[in-house]
Amino acid sequence: MDRTPSLMSSSSQDESLAEKRWLNALAKGDPNALGGLYEIYGDKIFRYTYRMLGNRADAEDATAETFLRVLRRSSDLRADGAFKTWIFRIARNLCIDKMRQHKLLELPQDTHYSGVEERAALKITVQQALSDLQIEYREPLILCDLENISAKEAAEMLAISVPALKSRLYRGRRALRDKLGGSLEKMT
Amino acid sequence: MNEEIYSKLVDLYVDEELTEELGQMLEARAMNDPALSHDMYTLRKTLEALRSTDDARLTEESSQRILMKLRTSGAQVEQNSPDPAHLQYQLPIRG
Repeated sequence: MDRTPSLMSSSSQDESLAEKRWLNALAKGDPNALGGLYEIYGDKIFRYTYRMLGNRADAEDATAETFLRVLRRSSDLRADGAFKTWIFRIARNLCIDKMRQHKLLELPQDTHYSGVEERAALKITVQQALSDLQIEYREPLILCDLENISAKEAAEMLAISVPALKSRLYRGRRALRDKLGGSLEKMT
Repeated sequence: MNEEIYSKLVDLYVDEELTEELGQMLEARAMNDPALSHDMYTLRKTLEALRSTDDARLTEESSQRILMKLRTSGAQVEQNSPDPAHLQYQLPIRG
């Protein structure tokens, strides 16, 4: 399920060039650099942490901490295309730490009721089913099916092979389907 | 072909990674195989449900809180885009 296009779109080329520029600037201590990287990755990292953690407050904390770690380790950075993998790994580790804390503290997850009642109910059912999945199945679903990250990149982020990633992705989808059960039938 | 192979084909079918010929073969087979048809239908529905109910997005308020956290931790974060209108002006509050 590798969605990487054979030719990069102009927007991803622009983003890649901007990323290199900001990484070089960060290494030189440019005060605008972190803001530039936040503009490229802030939204992506927040969405990932929100899906992993299930609540906005923790996702905001994890996103802020991710960028702080980028800043602290800026001397180690190389503008060689591996930054995306690296920053997602930082976010992932922070999420795993927070999830361990949640297990200890039993913190509640956000539940949002909005829109038509049935739609809201389905949304909550899906979010709950996703959060109930084992993390090894949940992560590939978040990265590949929600964030549209290629199988190759997702495998690098999780430090596993592409076949292992795909195996987890396919199993995760089936596990999610089993958890959703009758709710799927109600979908129009 | 056995069940396990069909299961793998369905996974690839859902990701639209099958060749046109194999996809058509699977669809033809599903016409006479309710279990296979159910497998294909429910997996697609699962992905549809997952994507259509996802509401993870960075709101302006969340972004401002993240930037505030970064700044209070000592990071210099210059925003290249202007603040939204509701954060640019402070209305006088009178009791």
